[in-house]
Amino acid sequence: MSGYGGWAGRVLRVDLSTGGIRVEDTIERYKDFLGGTGIGYKVMWDEVPPGAKPFDPENRIVFAVGPLAGTGAPCNGRTAITTLWPTCWPLPLVASGHMGGHFAAKLKYAGYDAIVIQGKADHPVWLMIEDRKVEIRDARGIWGQGTRAATCAISEIMGRDAVVAAIGQAGENLAPMSIVLSGASHSAGGIGSVMGSKNLKAIGVHGSGGVRIAGNKDEWERLIKYHLSLLGANNQHVVPNSPQPWAEFYDPNSRWNASRGRRWGGAAHPVDTGACDPHDLNRIAYRSNNAAHFLGDDVWKYTVRGNGCASCPVRCHTILKVPSVSSKYDIPAVGQKTCVGLKFGANFFKELPGGPKGATGLEANMVGLHLADDLGVWCNYGQLQRDFIKLYHDGVIEKKLGAREYKSYSWGKYDKGDPSFLFELLPRIAGKVGELGTALGLGTGHLLERWNLSEETWRKDKKLGYWKLGHPKHHASDEVGQCGLLVNLIYNRDAVCHSHSNFTRNGLPLPIQKRLAADIWGAPEAVDGIGDFKPMHRSKARMAKWSLLRKELHDSLSLCNWMGPWAASPLRERGYSGDDSMESMLYSLATGDRKNREELDAVAERIFLLHRALTIRGMGTKEMRTRHDTIPEWVYTDKSGKAPFTKGAVHMDRKDVQVALDMFYDELGLDRATGAPTRATYRKFGLNDVADELAKTKLVPA
Amino acid sequence: MKRPIHTEGPSEGDGTVHGDAVADTTVALIRERSAAGELVSEPEIALFLERHVATPDTSMAGDCVTALLARLLLENEDLKALRGADSQWYYSSRSMTGEYAEILLHAQEGPVRLIAETVRHSARIYQRPVPLEIFTEPPFNLAYRQVLDCLATMAEIEGCDDIATTTTSSSGVYLYSTKHLEAVHAEMLAEWFDVGQAENP
Repeated sequence: MSGYGGWAGRVLRVDLSTGGIRVEDTIERYKDFLGGTGIGYKVMWDEVPPGAKPFDPENRIVFAVGPLAGTGAPCNGRTAITTLWPTCWPLPLVASGHMGGHFAAKLKYAGYDAIVIQGKADHPVWLMIEDRKVEIRDARGIWGQGTRAATCAISEIMGRDAVVAAIGQAGENLAPMSIVLSGASHSAGGIGSVMGSKNLKAIGVHGSGGVRIAGNKDEWERLIKYHLSLLGANNQHVVPNSPQPWAEFYDPNSRWNASRGRRWGGAAHPVDTGACDPHDLNRIAYRSNNAAHFLGDDVWKYTVRGNGCASCPVRCHTILKVPSVSSKYDIPAVGQKTCVGLKFGANFFKELPGGPKGATGLEANMVGLHLADDLGVWCNYGQLQRDFIKLYHDGVIEKKLGAREYKSYSWGKYDKGDPSFLFELLPRIAGKVGELGTALGLGTGHLLERWNLSEETWRKDKKLGYWKLGHPKHHASDEVGQCGLLVNLIYNRDAVCHSHSNFTRNGLPLPIQKRLAADIWGAPEAVDGIGDFKPMHRSKARMAKWSLLRKELHDSLSLCNWMGPWAASPLRERGYSGDDSMESMLYSLATGDRKNREELDAVAERIFLLHRALTIRGMGTKEMRTRHDTIPEWVYTDKSGKAPFTKGAVHMDRKDVQVALDMFYDELGLDRATGAPTRATYRKFGLNDVADELAKTKLVPA
Repeated sequence: MKRPIHTEGPSEGDGTVHGDAVADTTVALIRERSAAGELVSEPEIALFLERHVATPDTSMAGDCVTALLARLLLENEDLKALRGADSQWYYSSRSMTGEYAEILLHAQEGPVRLIAETVRHSARIYQRPVPLEIFTEPPFNLAYRQVLDCLATMAEIEGCDDIATTTTSSSGVYLYSTKHLEAVHAEMLAEWFDVGQAENP
């Protein structure tokens, strides 16, 4: 062992074809890639041959965490799961899913930084990890069951302190639109079917160890308190959503929705969330009620409390207790989820009695979240529901299904907004039952291909929210201008990057955002008001690069990119500035490997470049600019006919976007013509071997 | 005849209430009310002192309280004053910001002024339209019907010509000031806040 803190020091390797289990040294092989997605990309590069498919035994699925997982650093509960992505269309390429909860911490306490799984078991199995004891166990008794039953069964064997990550029927049946679920509500989308293809039902982990902090303990304690002091609410919104006596600013769109009189009414003894002055660090958990934010203020009375991940005070998973649903739909009255998952059910309906935030909408959401999590169905950031609504209302579903199958659905119920319709639809997606269930379970790209529909139609319609490669936009140009556009170009699924939007949505007035932007990205022009976008500026390219590097850092250190980065803070006395050296300070103290912000960003850039190299190798072309970094047509259109860069317009200008690409590629050391990393860039970040391999097939720009 | 309380500093042996006590009581009152999320007006302070500090032989004359408050503002950095239509209002910046105090002041001036000034502030400072619903929540605390009545009133009276509304595709009603926000921009922003953000969580 190296003497570093932070890392557990060992990577667990499991070959399900042979039953082989071994460990390797984290530091020797992976330190230069930190952990999380860094380890994932490195394994994929070294071990998965080009041309491999997601369900091939030689594909790897890498559950990896970072050196901050399991420490006291706030918001460190993320596990990155990297593999060939089955919903990526038309080619499967590398991507990562991310789940919160306590899996990451438990894995570290068991003594591992990652689990690399390869091969395919000849019968259903689950993996049991109890510190040094690792066993491949028979899962035939739980195969065919949902995540809840599987988790209960494994917990009975391993004990209540174990954390279980399980797939449902969707993953077992190789429906690409499937998740792995950890704990009650922490899901990672897109990879359930890869586990299913390996006959791997679940991983149970229990660890009795700890994580060593290399640095001075008092210094570490001070750093944690400093970090906590900069925290806002969910998504690092740093102002409350209503005027508060302590607050200079407010924003009705903020997820900081605590206030005197707003109570967790579903708690055994209702709790008033209070004014939540940002200096009161013991009340951070009261700041956000995501269910109320997404589902409406009526939800306060059903709120039990917030729940969340290891060492995270923000508690963004709201626990709801809605007694009416248990008798009406035979589902538990208590459920929990965050963000888009909270709206899983209502999002299927174009019309609901009382609207999406009414009582029926809430029931639909309770049905949706329970069914989706138990069956293990993924929504692909709402794309599943948007696709379903369009296909149904355009008459495509009726045309594509045989009359018998079409009639087997209660469309009358659906038209009336009856949540019980979801009991007909979601199990058929998970079970790949019939044409509709099978097609919806494929993901957008494969569905369009199966039904001979044009992707161009999806790329033109802004309401569909589609971006490319079978996946939707995620905080794109219509919200964060050129920076949002650039961030959405890079990944092989939706971008799942919040670095940029967490800043622009933080609630501070634009002049303050511009002042902070000038400090971080060199010029106030980095940020614009929404609907008041200005032409491209070099600082926007810097912001886009910073956003991607922060995301890679978070995904590799196990920090949460939904909560960070901490570029702004709620503290008036700091002029609302945050500290984007937080990642490097935490990393340095935890591991003992002293790196300043620039040095750690360079590691993030190496990780980013390896992802880019994997994409280039996977596609067999270096022409990223024209073949990968593509932009849907809706980005350039505006129904009103307004010109780009006029007030109220959110569409982009074609020439300006080309300027944006040039500047962005420059910032990242990518060749302007192709968008591929140059040899000099690979060399600069220690990836000569990667460049050498790509050069053999002419995939490095001349 | 009652003698006025000496408020300019300590005095000895003349039977008056000690000036420091009056000052301390007044400062504490303002701070306490701010901590409770409230402003306090000069007449309220005078009445409080009359009831709790004055003796049968002393009184709190109006000019005396005014002078006291002027001195306290100079001596206590956290104490702030706001000029209202009928009175001066006080708060402590230890637990209340000027922005929040302004909202409370506008609330004293009636719902029409409260809504209009809040909408203008939002458009000017944040370049944002305001969802109508926020006026039904603290610290505004207006009934929904009352807000609608105020909008109707604003349409008829002078001085509120700049307050405009826009309705989103989800039927959300947003208010903005045309002094600080162009209609086309306000409409786009309202749609984004009400519909777009929900679709892009």
